[in-house]
Amino acid sequence: MNYTFDWSVLWKGQSGEWLWLGLLTTLELSALAWLLAVALGIVSGALRTVPWKPLRMLATAYVEFFRNVPLLVWMFFWYFGVPPFLPLGVQDWLFGHGLEFWAGVSALGVYSGARFSEVLRSGIQSIPRTQFEASVASGLTTFQAYRHVILPVALRLIIPPATNESLNLLKNSSVALTISVAELTFQTRQIETYTAKAIEALTAGTVIYLVLCVSIASVMSWVERRTAIPGLIGGGDRRGRRGARG
Amino acid sequence: MRKMIALTMLLALLTATVGPALAETTLEKIARTETLTIGTRTGSPPFAYVNSKNEWVGFSIDLVEQLVLPAISQKVGKTIKLEKKESTPPTRIPLLSSGAVDLIAGTMTDTRARRDSVDFSITFFVTGAQFLVKKGSPIKGIKNIDGKRIAAQQGSTNAKIIREKAPKAQLREFPDQPAAFQALIQGQVDAYTNDGIQLAGLKMKAPNPAQWEIVGDFFSYEPYGMAMRKNESDFRNVVNNGLMDGIESGKFFEIYDKWFGPKGELPYPMSAGVRQFMIYQVVPK
Repeated sequence: MNYTFDWSVLWKGQSGEWLWLGLLTTLELSALAWLLAVALGIVSGALRTVPWKPLRMLATAYVEFFRNVPLLVWMFFWYFGVPPFLPLGVQDWLFGHGLEFWAGVSALGVYSGARFSEVLRSGIQSIPRTQFEASVASGLTTFQAYRHVILPVALRLIIPPATNESLNLLKNSSVALTISVAELTFQTRQIETYTAKAIEALTAGTVIYLVLCVSIASVMSWVERRTAIPGLIGGGDRRGRRGARG
Repeated sequence: MRKMIALTMLLALLTATVGPALAETTLEKIARTETLTIGTRTGSPPFAYVNSKNEWVGFSIDLVEQLVLPAISQKVGKTIKLEKKESTPPTRIPLLSSGAVDLIAGTMTDTRARRDSVDFSITFFVTGAQFLVKKGSPIKGIKNIDGKRIAAQQGSTNAKIIREKAPKAQLREFPDQPAAFQALIQGQVDAYTNDGIQLAGLKMKAPNPAQWEIVGDFFSYEPYGMAMRKNESDFRNVVNNGLMDGIESGKFFEIYDKWFGPKGELPYPMSAGVRQFMIYQVVPK
């Protein structure tokens, strides 16, 4: 291959600073979008299982609408589609105050919320129906049954698939570069612009994403062990597998 | 952890073995596949774009088809077909290095930094950066964009120059021209900067051209060249000879007139200075 690698472009000049700024933006964007996604996911995931049809339909409509349209389209929707419906003064204010970042948070959060919702629903449905019935029989209202019995169990059961979705969310945040959010992937391209060394810059981005995701996955696996319910997922055979991992 | 290290090494090994597989020169590859693959644009009229008849055409594409392709065919002694692929500023150098395309013929500015990674043909067009604004905008050039929101294309030379010459401007970078122009239409940004000739092309294609204005002196020098993989002087000579023959025979100027002449897609007469520069690039036979 007629290509001379020059890894020094990653620390010469402003590259380090750019990667750092990009990393911060990626983390900020992902963290805010994650909070939004988890909140939306818990509410709509729980609503999809309640014994009242209109609420179930509302939650289903949200999930199917948002998860079945590509994330890129949602980015354009929040950035280009929403502002024209706002009053002019609000538009101007938004344009001057990081609209692209908040459009990115909304797009990523609402889209991932629909995916989280499905994860939570599967968790709730894996709990025997009798638990809900027993809670109601013991005098709890439906809300109380979800709040004190169903959700605390379901949220622990779904940690592995929820970790998966969280990692997806982090990686999907790179789509925000299409609406000019200067996140990590954007900054790797910036380095390419200045140095014309695309492969080195992309490799740096890849390694940073990999390290981020692996760290999040290990923290979550720790959380999973800490909150495991004996007798359910990971409760009993966890120790045996951990030994084999070496 | 041991598994992780093993996996990383495996990855490194895989990437390393890709190299020798590509040890064929570009001319050999073209002769074997009987195809020249170029990376070009779909939304940069009149250099390379998809026209209203859904044909992928433009000045840069004509130069390759009518000047470069015949030179290559003659050199390898076979009729070579042309294949076009979309390449954007952030993808064009990787596409070239990976061997996915053999020549970038679009709107790529020849710069010294880029020459560290790729080689360029002789210059085939000369322009400079300006701003596209809504008619009546207070922006008149690079001197009064402080605090203003300026759109640019990611990976372009213009964004880099704005960052250096007007650090107080709020730069918003979009992956392609349509997204940047949409942001300008809706007011997300106050101006869009690109090479003057591309702005003229964009304005011409806009639904309401009279609504837009191109302002400011050139604040950069943008000589367009065709890029190819580094250290392939045989291939570069063929490309350059094709272009030089075209300039010498006048064919180059005919193609220029087809796109930029008074009856062309985008009237942009070539100045006497540029014409002279083109002719001086031609070395004797």
